[in-house]
Parts: sequence; C-alpha cells; structure tokens
Amino acid sequence: MTPPLVAFRDVEKTFPNGVRALRGVTFVVRAGTCHAICGENGAGKSTLMKCLFGLETPDSGSILIDGRAVGPDHSPRAAAAAGIGMVHQHFSLVASLTVAENIVLGREPTHGPLIDRAAARAEVRRTATRFQLAVDPDAQVAGLSVAAQQKVEILKALARDVRLLILDEPTAVLTPQETAELFERLRHLRAEGLTIIFISHKLREVRALAEHVTVLREGRVVGDAPIGAISDDAIARLVMGREVRAARREVRHALGPEVLRVAALSMPAAAAADRLVDVSFVLHAGEILGVAGVEGNGQRGLVSVLSGLTRPASGQASLLGRDVWRMDTAALRRAGMGHLPADRFAQGGARTLSVADNAIGGEHRSPALGRWPLLSRWRVERRAATMVSAYDVRCRGPRALLGSLSGGNAQKLIAAREFAAEPKLLIADEPTRGIDIRAAAFIRTQIIALAERGSAVLLISADLDELLSLADRVLVLFGGRIAARLENGPSLTPEALGPYMLGLRTAA
Amino acid sequence: MIRTAVLATLLTLALLLAVVAVVLVPIVLVLPDPRGAVGMFLFGPLADLRHLGNIVEAATPLMFTGLAVALMFRVGMFNLGAEGSFFLGGVFATFAILRLHLPDPIMAPVAILLGAAVGSLGCVVPGVLRARFGASELVSSLMLNYAALFAGLYVVNYMLRDPNAGAMLSYRLPAAAKLPRILPGTRVHLGVLVGLAACALGGVYLFATRWGYEARVVGANPGFARHLGLPITAVAATVQALGGFAAAAGGAIEVQGMYLRFSWQALPGAGWNGLVVAILAGLYGGDFAMDRAPLGGLRAVVTLPAADA
Repeated sequence: MTPPLVAFRDVEKTFPNGVRALRGVTFVVRAGTCHAICGENGAGKSTLMKCLFGLETPDSGSILIDGRAVGPDHSPRAAAAAGIGMVHQHFSLVASLTVAENIVLGREPTHGPLIDRAAARAEVRRTATRFQLAVDPDAQVAGLSVAAQQKVEILKALARDVRLLILDEPTAVLTPQETAELFERLRHLRAEGLTIIFISHKLREVRALAEHVTVLREGRVVGDAPIGAISDDAIARLVMGREVRAARREVRHALGPEVLRVAALSMPAAAAADRLVDVSFVLHAGEILGVAGVEGNGQRGLVSVLSGLTRPASGQASLLGRDVWRMDTAALRRAGMGHLPADRFAQGGARTLSVADNAIGGEHRSPALGRWPLLSRWRVERRAATMVSAYDVRCRGPRALLGSLSGGNAQKLIAAREFAAEPKLLIADEPTRGIDIRAAAFIRTQIIALAERGSAVLLISADLDELLSLADRVLVLFGGRIAARLENGPSLTPEALGPYMLGLRTAA
Repeated sequence: MIRTAVLATLLTLALLLAVVAVVLVPIVLVLPDPRGAVGMFLFGPLADLRHLGNIVEAATPLMFTGLAVALMFRVGMFNLGAEGSFFLGGVFATFAILRLHLPDPIMAPVAILLGAAVGSLGCVVPGVLRARFGASELVSSLMLNYAALFAGLYVVNYMLRDPNAGAMLSYRLPAAAKLPRILPGTRVHLGVLVGLAACALGGVYLFATRWGYEARVVGANPGFARHLGLPITAVAATVQALGGFAAAAGGAIEVQGMYLRFSWQALPGAGWNGLVVAILAGLYGGDFAMDRAPLGGLRAVVTLPAADA
C-alpha cells in the first residue's frame, strides 16, 4: 500500500506566550481525497496547516510527505517543491498587477532581460483551461470581485504543479452562488487527481465536499472519520465539546407595540445590492423579523438606509412613533437604533484601537465614564472588562488591540457594545458570518435575550438555518422588492424559501 | 511585550550608532585633526552648559511642530501645513509686536496668541479643502506652504521691514516682546516650558478627553466613526485647527525667544523636522508627548554640531 500523501505524527507546538496550539496531533490525508478539517477558532487548524506549509516549525513530532519526514529546514519553498499549495483566507495578490503577472510572479518566463508577456499569458490560459477556471489573464487584480481573486489564488497554486491544495476557509468571503461555483471547480480538481485540504466552520459545506473529516479541539484531534460514518450532530458535538443547544425559539404571535414602520421605501441605485423598490413593513417590540434573500438583492441598501448611512429617495419611516425620515446615524442612535454591522472591521470597530476604546464607542459621551470632558481611563477599562467577561471575549485585557482578537471574539465585543445600549431597534446584519460555532451560538442567544427584553430586531442573514431558528416572521427580498412575507413555523424550511429568493414566486 | 520593546530600543540605538559612524568616516578622512574633530562632534554638545543649552534651544520649536504633526496625523490627515503655520506664526507675532501698540505687560503673550491664531490657517485651509471638496490635503498643504511663505514675506517687506537694516529684516523687537531666559549662560527661554506643557496637554487631549477619543476613532477607522454617527468632518477640521495653532505658536515663540528681529527669508524647516520628530517619537502609538522632548534633543545632538562646523 502506498504511503498517505501527508501524515501527522504526534505533532506538538507551544507558542512562546505559553499557548499550546497543538497537542499530539496524529492523522493522515490520503492522496486524491478532499479532507475537511473542522474546529472552532483557535482549535489549532491554521497552526497545523502552517506547520505543513513550512511557516511554523513543530516543537516535536513529525510530518511525513509521501512517507518521508520533512526536515527541520522545512520552509514554504520546500513545501512548494513537494507540491503543496496554500490559499490563505487573506489573499496574497498584488492588486496593481494583472492576473497573468500575479500567477507567474517569482518565476516569470523571460525573453532576454524582459518578461515574456505572451508566454505568461499563454501559460495562464493553458492552466485555466485545464482546470476549467475561467479568468481573463489581462484583467487587473484590483478590479476583480473577491470570488475572482480567489480563483486567481487557486490558479497561482495550480500553476506551480501542486498535488495538495490547502484552502483556509475559502467560502467565508463568498456569496452562496460563488460558493456553489467554487465547489463545482473543486470537485473537478479532485477528479483530476488533486488532493484538497479544506478548512471550514460550515458543516453543510464539509458534507457537500469532503470525503473525510478531522475535528480539532484545543489542539487535539477529537474526531477523525469518513464523512459517511459521522452525522452533522456528531461533528458539531465534537467541535463544541458539548451538546450544541440550537438557539431555536418559540415563535411569538402576540405582538408588542409598534417600533418601526417603513412605508414605500425606494432607492434607485447603481448597485443591485443597494436598490430598493417600494419596501414597506412594520416591526413590533419583542419581535425578530428575518430578512432573507440571495446576497445583492437590496439587503445592503435596506441596512444602510435604516442605519442612517444613506438617504433614500422616497418613502416614510417612523421609529417609536417619531418621524425618522432621512435622519442621520447620530440622530437615529439617539432615537434608539442599534446596529451590529456585517463587516466588523470596516464598520463595527477599529483594529488599531484597544478593546477598551472599541467597547465605549457611542457611549463615550456618557457621564458614567468620567468628569466632562475627561474620560477616566480606569472607568473606561472597567466598563470594557464588564463587557469582556459578560460576553466571554477572549483577549489579553482591555488594552489589547481589537485586531489581535479572533473574528468571533471581536464580533462578541462589538455585539456587547451595541447591546449594552439596550436599543429599541436592533439591526443585526449577518451577525455570525465567519465566526466559530460557539461564538455564533452565543450571539444568537444574546439576540433572543434582547428581543425578550422588548427590543425589535431586524435580522439580515444569508444563513437560512440561523434565520429560521430566530425569526418570528420572514421577509424575502428579491431585486430590491419584498417578494414574500411569511410567518415562521415548523413548515417553513430553507427549501420553501428558495422559490421566493430566486424570484420564481411571490407572496407579498 | 517588554522584550520586544527592549529589542526595538536596542535596534534603534544600534542604527543610530551605525549612522553616526557612517557620517564620521568621510569627516575623519578629510580633516587634519581627526581625533579633535570627532571628539568635538561626539562630545562637544555635552561639554558645557552653553552647548547643552543649544540642544534645548534647537528642540524647543520641534516640540510644537512635532505636536502639531502628531495631532493632525492622528485623525488620518496627512497635513504638512505645519511648516507654513510655523512661518506665519512668527510673522504675525512680529506684526502684533511692531504694529499693534500693545501694552508692555501683555505684549509677549498676546503676540504669541495672535500669531498662533493667524498662523493656524496654514493647516486649517488644507483641512477644510479636504473636508469640503475632497482635495488631497497632502498636495494642497505642500503647495500652500509656499503661499504662506510669500504672503508672510509680503507682510514683512511692506509692513515690518526696517529700511535701515540693510537686508530684509524687521524692526528690532522691543524687550517687552521677548521671552525671558530661564537658564543663565544659555539662550534657553521660557518657550521650552510652554512647549513641554503643550505636549503634555496634547497627550491629555488625545488620550484622556472625549474629543480626543473621537479624533482617534476618526483617524483609526472612518467607517467605524460613521457607524457611531460621529461628525467626521467637524472632528477632523477641529484637530487641524489645533495642530495649526500649535505649530504657529511654535513659530511665534521661536521668534520671540531667540531673535532680535524677524529675519526668516525662507521656510525655516521646523515643520519638516516636526514631521520627523513625530514619526521618531512613535506617532502611531504610545504616549508620544512623553518622548517628544528627549527625541527632539536627540535630533539636535545629531545635527547641531554639523551646523556649527
């Protein structure tokens, strides 16, 4: 029997700060398979892959490629020579260069002292055709969509004759359609004989793609099985280390007083994601109203109008009976609006400021934080520490920079800040996208608790399971219009939402 | 954390030594008395009180311009108007002294305040152009520095010039306009204390007040500031005004502390050096106000002897 393509034997890694990232990791990856690695943020997935790719050196244990142990001088260069390619979560492309230039970067075909552009272009076309990854070799990377950039990253790896492709959470940045397309391509690559290691939080994706799954928790392998031999529930249990309490809630039909009323909201916009056509709805205290829809069908426009970032063209809006038409963010916040934004580092917080500075945003004028105009450092940090412990934010302390936190922990801190103001209306925009299962479950629980305290919640989510487990009612957006208004209940399934989301049916 | 900080400091010191060594090699090669020259270069600044005073004198204007640059960059504006503000501050302080007939007891402080108020325009204008029209503050401030220079020279030439001085110099500044010397045997004047206080105040403003918090949020991530509903343009413009005020006050204090007459014919370069000081002092993090004075002094140590030679 041929040796497995990759074998990990008792791999240990302790970081200088004392964190034991890997504890005796042992498992194999067989050639020609798609192998999923699951685990929470901080479970050791990325560290393990960095060891394989030569970016980190294990303290003990060994990594075998084709049955041969890699030496202590293992490096990304050696990994590449052994046929290992890695697509990181954050792409490493040069935005100002073209697709072809990026792909041949570092080993450009030359013609005397000059780069042979025609040869580079031809090579890219050849690779692209072979792997059915259509790209325009002359397009500038800066102008490409995220999905297209990811394709370029994959091509860059493939063009270097890889046998093993490591994908670190490839779908976190993609829309559902783009994800489907990526999976189609990956299946094709596997059929071509490529081995794929696929890191993901999403069980549905793991099941759709992988043949084998390894679960890591706190640096240990806690599960390793063919995908057919293990249920989703079992994987989830292994990832979480305990029974997952799905945050399902009883749907409420007794409505509280009206909080938000939006009538005939319209916004003609260039981008489909911002366009709104005649959107009307009412939201009551204690109610969670879910907004479903394929991404780019007006969700972004709806959120930016309701949070005061853009002014709509026509319509009416009132919050708690007050006219809030065309109010800006500051006025809306004073009127009781809270917003948990989809992009936590672009809007939700500032990476280069401390946890404490991020925690007091919006509340920074409160007299509770010191005598005007001073901010008491002690009070600010105590305030932040309260949020950190209440929301179980894992960080070194209130002075740690937000950028040093994992995505899930940063999101928990931002949620703590927005929820602490006890908003009358909460706009939760993709509140759990890209974060680990435990943090996601925690944030969902907090959203429910907020609604139970009488807040009205507008929940926008591409994760239909999340939407259906939280919402009392569901609106489906299609092409900027409300395509359906549905009462949530056991009979409402993701499959039932499909025809509305795709514009095949309306029920408004 | 502490280990990296120590490492960073050691690295900086090693770099400094390397730079000094590289500079010294050609000097040693061309001079007849290399040992004396090197000794003078390295230890001359520390040899006696007068030389130590020179360091403090040279560091004083840099405290103000360094503070100005640090403030303005913190809100994410790369405003280089400190140079023009510094120059205008000196010009209009002189204008107030020579033309406004201020009573003696209040002459010096009022001149500084007036110079600072007018001079702050050098930073406010690029800030407003950016906020209102989206014009790059980097480009407009660079160009407006020259507008500030020639506008200032016009005022000097047509309103303040002493026709008997034989060059483009203002009339003599009266004694009441001068800042008192605080260290006998040197020219170190009261301005150094004002500068230290200003830097400390700047630190308090940025790190301990609500306004400073808003400024840091705007600078760190405008998207986050917008999400919180902060008035971004107002915050940014206010900080440009403060920065301009600090730089221009530095210009006024330099003139009133060090000069007999206003005598700048060109941009004196304090704004550029302030940029260097702000970056050296760790503008992008840490308690910059604490570091300001020693680093300003450090720069003076490195450059002054060369200027003397």
